Amino acid sequence: MVTDVGHAQRVIIGTRDEESSGGVLTEVGLVTWRSLVKLTRTPVLLFFSLFMPLIWLVMFSQTFGTVFSSATSGGLPGGPAATPLPYDYVAVLLPGITVMTAIQSASQSGFGMVADLESGFMDKFFVAPIRRSSVLAGKLLADGLRMAAQAGIILGIAAILTLFGWRIPFATGVMGAVLIMLLAAAFGVAFSGLSNTVALRTKNTESTMMVSFSLTFPLLFLSTAMLPKALLPSWVQSFSTVNPVSYMADAARALILTGFDWTAIGNAFLAILAFGIVLNGLAIMAFRAQGK
Amino acid sequence: MSAAVTLRPEAKKKAAMSRASKDSVIDVQHLVKVYGGRGQEEIKAVNDVSFSVGEGEFFGFLGPNGAGKTTVIRIITTLLAKTSGSVHVAGLDVERDGLDIRRMIGYTGQSIGVDGELTGRENLWLIGRLYHMPNSLVDERVEELLEVLQLKDAADRRAYTYSGGMRRRLDLGAGLVHHPRVLFLDEPTTGLDPQTRAAVWEYLRRLHREEKMTIFLTTQYMEEADQLCQRIAIIDLGKIVAEGSPAELKAAIGADIITVRITRDEAFEQSRNRALEIARTVSGVSRASIFDEGVSAYTADGGATLLEVLRRLDAEKVPVHQVALAHPTLDEVFLQHTGRQMRVEEVKPMSRSFGRRRR
Repeated sequence: MVTDVGHAQRVIIGTRDEESSGGVLTEVGLVTWRSLVKLTRTPVLLFFSLFMPLIWLVMFSQTFGTVFSSATSGGLPGGPAATPLPYDYVAVLLPGITVMTAIQSASQSGFGMVADLESGFMDKFFVAPIRRSSVLAGKLLADGLRMAAQAGIILGIAAILTLFGWRIPFATGVMGAVLIMLLAAAFGVAFSGLSNTVALRTKNTESTMMVSFSLTFPLLFLSTAMLPKALLPSWVQSFSTVNPVSYMADAARALILTGFDWTAIGNAFLAILAFGIVLNGLAIMAFRAQGK
Repeated sequence: MSAAVTLRPEAKKKAAMSRASKDSVIDVQHLVKVYGGRGQEEIKAVNDVSFSVGEGEFFGFLGPNGAGKTTVIRIITTLLAKTSGSVHVAGLDVERDGLDIRRMIGYTGQSIGVDGELTGRENLWLIGRLYHMPNSLVDERVEELLEVLQLKDAADRRAYTYSGGMRRRLDLGAGLVHHPRVLFLDEPTTGLDPQTRAAVWEYLRRLHREEKMTIFLTTQYMEEADQLCQRIAIIDLGKIVAEGSPAELKAAIGADIITVRITRDEAFEQSRNRALEIARTVSGVSRASIFDEGVSAYTADGGATLLEVLRRLDAEKVPVHQVALAHPTLDEVFLQHTGRQMRVEEVKPMSRSFGRRRR
């Protein structure tokens, strides 16, 4: 064997890796750090990602609020009769808006992927001695944190609106809000599997945008995100039972209107887990296939 | 301490078992890469390419766009899967031991992969940390590189504010943070202005000379290959057409080139034909041909033959505008092996699909 002082530094690097136990966590953490730094460097994007949902929250609740109250003046169909609801439509809509925000952010998850593939930055990750799964995991973790933060901001703004007479019960308080943030993050991360799969397979921002956006509205409106199930036409009701958006919306709505409905919360996480595994499984396959 | 300590025990075993020769750091045998298939048209981007690069060697892949340079470099750096053949880096197999190979190599791609939202310092730091280097060592290396690459003043500015040359230098730095044993550079100076190009060349020479780094470079610039590389493989249409040191390759042409430009007047065509006839009859001229401005003649001894050619042209009153004597360049080498003039294209193709951007 050759003794070579010039290689001493390489030796340090090589062995250090084997000693460190937190290797994978470091890798994931670094990728997450990078995504979050990028996010904070472009606050304008964060602002506009919240702009639309907030417009929706205000406009929709105002426009459809009166329709909703007259439709429910005799109580919800099938519910206890003749008592006007103790909350405004905005309280019904709020969980839907948190889902909508998560879906919107999830749709954009693949954009960053396309950008990194195009710029050649992804090569830096691929040529580094790290696991490819760390790259995807780190990105998803950053996405999840961003989605949780967005849900938190929306809930916070809604809480401020209650000071101006908007009737939103917030039945489970801060704990419930944290749970909604968690749900939104989990839902968003699960759904971003679709955007990332399309992004990795097409390497094209337009295609990624089209696929995601064309699914967003059907998924939202054919679910209980905008209206409680009792007010939906029967065919939409049937579809909504297989739409994961409904489970997320129902759990979040219960947390705001009534209390900790653990069945709904459990169902929501199960639904998220199920379609999250499928969509992200596809994304992982697409990611592994890069360069193959 | 030994260099082999960088490898994990099982990798060491594999390295020992490998049939790759002991001295070669990069060993490529009968490499084939076919794109497409499954309904698409098949394109053989790399067609039975074999070569090896020794420890500490500065090796260049020279060829035009679409020759297969990028494909080969991406396969060796584990970024792209091969179709068939064997590829070893330091005795490790690219398919089985990708992680171990990536630990010891640095790579700078054709497209500049720096993150514009991060500062120069952060870009380098992130890459260094991805190699699991301890924080203090990363900081040290990053400062060192910023200094050497003359990016110190701009270190805390976001990379999108950088000029093309600065981005290229930063990208080069990202391939060096972990002090790789083998450095892969895919057209490192394409699109750079002459000063920056010279600076990058100087830095690469230093890396090679002082740090004994093995460097594998692809380029479409004859001059770059000539200036930097100890050994060159000329690649065209997926095949290696010639291999050797720049001097060897040029010597193989075995000729100096005399270029005679004829005065542009009404009798130009006639004069040029006359000059061609004369050149052909001068003893020592092995081959002569016309080109748009005059005549070029190949000869083993340029100095002596030039004089004779001039005497004869003068005696026959052929109006000579300019005469030049040149030693063969890699341009002639390329022309001889491919039958084509090498054209440098700076324009990037529209299709940017990953992994098969360029072949």
